[in-house]
Amino acid sequence: MAIEEDPEGHELRALDTVVSFASRRVLEIGCGDGRLTLRYADKAASVIAIDPDAEAVAALAAERLPNVEVRQVGAEGVDLPPHSVDIVLFAWSL
Amino acid sequence: MVDALRRALGMLTLDGIVVDVHPTAAASAIEVEAEITGYVEACDAPLRHAAAGAALAAVVGQGLFAIDQAVEFTFYTYGDTIEELRNYVQENWNDARLDDATVSRTRDALRRSRGARPRSRERVVVTTLRRGRA
Repeated sequence: MAIEEDPEGHELRALDTVVSFASRRVLEIGCGDGRLTLRYADKAASVIAIDPDAEAVAALAAERLPNVEVRQVGAEGVDLPPHSVDIVLFAWSL
Repeated sequence: MVDALRRALGMLTLDGIVVDVHPTAAASAIEVEAEITGYVEACDAPLRHAAAGAALAAVVGQGLFAIDQAVEFTFYTYGDTIEELRNYVQENWNDARLDDATVSRTRDALRRSRGARPRSRERVVVTTLRRGRA
């Protein structure tokens, strides 16, 4: 079975109590291999998931989620138009 | 960190929100079921977590954001063995390690609790912030 993170789903439940991803445009900063992204992306309108770790973002990109755009870049390098996302999610990255 | 929050503000819609997820400064425990067998030695973790909290406080203090909600939860990471969990923590967490005494106590606890898996327990806080008045 190997390493298993948050199989109880506590993280997503906590997020669900404070934010709705439904039909939202999300920028996720520090997506890593998409552990969290994979849990909410199906609800969002679109997700731009960024992380500087090449290996990690390749793993997420390999999932080929239709509404997720993966970029290998850090928080300082992301360049999106003003007022273009509804949620900026710092995923264990602040 | 404050710069990253400032940049987020520019990309957000006027009614958009920032969601921050980060561990608290509380020590991460190693457990077998409900029994604590030790703690992760993480040299800089409390400082990094405190810095994240300070960054949030700074942007709130500057009026850029206002805290909307905050909730804490427990995040468990399980391994099949304590050796596997130790390797994972040491390879994936910054400057973190499990000492031999913790590993030994965990092995003993696993022998007493057949079928149980060792786990780390972190306390994590989710904070949402909305655009402030500044």
